[in-house]
Amino acid sequence: MSRRSFVKGAAAGLAGLAISPSLQAKSKPKGVAGNFSVLDASKPGGIDLYIERKDLLIDGKVGRPITINGSIPGPVIRMKEGREALMRVHNRLGESTSIHWHGMLVPFNMDGVPGISFPGIDPGETFTYKFDVRQNGTYWYHSHTGLQEQLGHYGQLIVEPEDDDPVDYDVEHTIVLSDWTFEDPTTAFKKLKTMEGYYNFQRPTIANLDDQVKATDKGLMEVIGKRLNWDWMRMDPTDIADITGSTYTYLLNGRSARENPTFTAEPGQKVRFRITNAATMSYFDFRIPGLPMTVVNADGQNVEPVETDELRIAVAETYDVVVTLPDDKAYTVFAEAMDRSGYARGTLAPKEGMAAKVPELRRRPMLTMADMGMVHGSMKMAKKAMGGEMEMAKPVKYEAHDEAKVSPIKNRTELPVKDLPTMVEHGPDEHGPGSITMAKNAYRQFDEPGVGLGDDNRRVLSYGQLKVLETPKDRRPPTREINLHLTGNMHQYIWGFNGKKWSESQMIRFKYGERLRINMINDTMMNHPIHLHGMWMDLYVGHEYGKNPRKHTVNVQPAELLTVDITADAPGQWAFHCHLLYHMKAGMFRTVAVVRDLEGEPIDAEA
Amino acid sequence: MLKLEHAAVMTLVALCVAAPSSTVWAQEVEKSEEGVEKGEEEVDGGEEDVGGGEEEDQGPLLPEGMTLDEVLDRAEKPAPEDFPDPVPDDQFRFFLLVDQLEYRYDLEDEPDQVGTELQGYVGGDYNRLWLKSEGEAGWQGDAGFEGESENDLVYGRLISPFWHAQIGAQYANEWTEDKYEDIWAGALALQGLAPGMFELDASLYVTQNLNMLADLEAEYDIRITQRLVFQPRVELSFAAQDIEERGIGVGLTKVVGDLRLRYEVLREFAPYVGARYQGLTFETADLAEAEGEDTSRFFVLGGVRFAVY
Ligand SMILES: [Cu+2]
Repeated sequence: MSRRSFVKGAAAGLAGLAISPSLQAKSKPKGVAGNFSVLDASKPGGIDLYIERKDLLIDGKVGRPITINGSIPGPVIRMKEGREALMRVHNRLGESTSIHWHGMLVPFNMDGVPGISFPGIDPGETFTYKFDVRQNGTYWYHSHTGLQEQLGHYGQLIVEPEDDDPVDYDVEHTIVLSDWTFEDPTTAFKKLKTMEGYYNFQRPTIANLDDQVKATDKGLMEVIGKRLNWDWMRMDPTDIADITGSTYTYLLNGRSARENPTFTAEPGQKVRFRITNAATMSYFDFRIPGLPMTVVNADGQNVEPVETDELRIAVAETYDVVVTLPDDKAYTVFAEAMDRSGYARGTLAPKEGMAAKVPELRRRPMLTMADMGMVHGSMKMAKKAMGGEMEMAKPVKYEAHDEAKVSPIKNRTELPVKDLPTMVEHGPDEHGPGSITMAKNAYRQFDEPGVGLGDDNRRVLSYGQLKVLETPKDRRPPTREINLHLTGNMHQYIWGFNGKKWSESQMIRFKYGERLRINMINDTMMNHPIHLHGMWMDLYVGHEYGKNPRKHTVNVQPAELLTVDITADAPGQWAFHCHLLYHMKAGMFRTVAVVRDLEGEPIDAEA
Repeated sequence: MLKLEHAAVMTLVALCVAAPSSTVWAQEVEKSEEGVEKGEEEVDGGEEDVGGGEEEDQGPLLPEGMTLDEVLDRAEKPAPEDFPDPVPDDQFRFFLLVDQLEYRYDLEDEPDQVGTELQGYVGGDYNRLWLKSEGEAGWQGDAGFEGESENDLVYGRLISPFWHAQIGAQYANEWTEDKYEDIWAGALALQGLAPGMFELDASLYVTQNLNMLADLEAEYDIRITQRLVFQPRVELSFAAQDIEERGIGVGLTKVVGDLRLRYEVLREFAPYVGARYQGLTFETADLAEAEGEDTSRFFVLGGVRFAVY
């Protein structure tokens, strides 16, 4: 007798004795998470999507996610470039909802952000999304209402190219990574707001001092000294993820690691994985031990193929990788949470039911002084200096200016597109009580794989390796720049830009038709995946200008200076925010208005 | 005027863009400015197959039935009234931390105590109404219950990332079986996290009789394991003058030193054991001695710390 049938039998026996029928019904949901369908939104008549709360087994336990057509993740939606996409979204929840098509260029009223694009979809209502599809690649979709995304309201979106696909592959599999909690997300948010470090069970302690001595080859006194140093700064070097495996079950296509979702291919076949990080708060380090991966697409954009062993996928990013299944063995598809508090896992194999060894979780990383922008004694900087890339030149200062009141530049001069400053020094503006400015300097990190990566002889993808396959049309040099500090007060869990939450801000003006530059300066000690709706961000990674990658979401590392150039070709109002759901909810959000000119009055973000 | 400049910029756009197809885009844009009807055509244009070859520019994506001008006008305005906040980041919260709820066993021959300390707030990120309360009571045998409490109700504002400045009132009382005394005071406080991760609360009180008192509390969490926390805590009380009727002498009046070892079953629920020293100092001690009272007491204690939110 299998364990499951034993449990069933036992339950039935108990029910016969005393258990009330209602309780019994509740403990036996019909479905299991991860049974999603594939829909074609470009077919005549379009598709229908039903948003509904439903009991499902998640990791074998009963959860009550928000499902789309009965599943989490929702169906894989396919579209065809050059055609119209038509989706009717039916809200069967007891609350308002929405769908945002992440990375898709759409008219502003189809973007699905309640409060900016439209009022949202009321309970019982149907909203029809309809737009021309003018791009191709791997994208995704999710709710932009409240914390619904945490409850499973997301899915993958694939746009087939009109022309031949430059990517060569035999089979295709979709991977949606996510983080699930059986907790009410509102409660989780309250905990973050009121009890700092609530979910972190990997903190520095007396008991793990010894461990730290072993891990770092440093003396006990030095380790203690470091700790006191961090204490003095009122910071926790293990603050890698706000919410961790202590409450999260990490999911791959709705399945937990022990449920082991399997992807099949014939030996010798080229397998294209379309990977989306649909998690609310979790970065994943993705690898298939034993198989090199060729990255061919990032954020839906084809890139020059680059081979790697591991890649970090920030929240809301997508990557396509091609791997060849070399033999008839099984290979583990491994997605480790950035803070090493858990993982999602699947298997690539010739047939179902196979499994390979699951790697051990690596040691949880700790932030270093480099993540605080401290130049001296920093490993990162030393590495750079040795490589000769880093000139220890005087850092430039990018003062924060009120992003809502940028006056137009009278003499439109083109800004440089190569050899941008490698480091900026923080100005005197500390951005008020909403910001703990930790990083005194911020520097370019597009060649850095990120905290906890790159020191175990694996090749790890960095942004600097991404080159667009085909130069996008508009690569004019920008003529205006905005310096935007990413700020936060982790102690009070306040997040924002330039020290201000969304509700304290005014809209950022983009002039329709202009090319502008945003210099993002991360003052905080956390990674933030910054997402712009409606327009692409051309990410400066030091290539020839036409080759810099194009992204909808850019990860900004602690103490990083990151520059994106934008063509403001989408009239209307758009969201611009950190894609960590609870950072966004705490105020790390702006409304961008693409307007006729920059001289108008400031526009209140709040109605 | 605006339109003219706009057209000029669009021409600039067209000139600057290297790819030849961009010209088509610029023309489309200008066309759509000319007429309302044409705007619609463009949106629908997507349905027909554009055919192979290079990606063509089809002008900006516009909502059905809106021209570019209309969209640009709309972009100048705040969100319509019926739109919800996209991120309601300024909501009020309620949080209550009962830091101490404990039984104190007296190690000498004084009576045992029940002690509490709690603080809570309602409010947002920057402005909050705080309640901070501390009290103790003991069974005095034939003399019945005796106790005292201090309750501060203050408005606080986050003035820097780690510090709340607070202003409000304190209501303090003392009671025995046959006597109830209370006193009101104005309160000023600074509460927050000091470098080194010390939780600090410094309060200044001016009583209704215009006496000045001060209180300084500091505590520090030492994590032994992920859930086992050792917390030393010190509380110092000061007076700016003698208040004889309350047995208070000028200067440092009282020292309380606590050690607690708690186990966080949950972050918001932790039973603990500990010890407490409580001593009167200097002139206050002299006054107590003159009354024949003990000036210092030792307790072992056990209790539970929990949060409600
Ligand atoms: Cu963030």
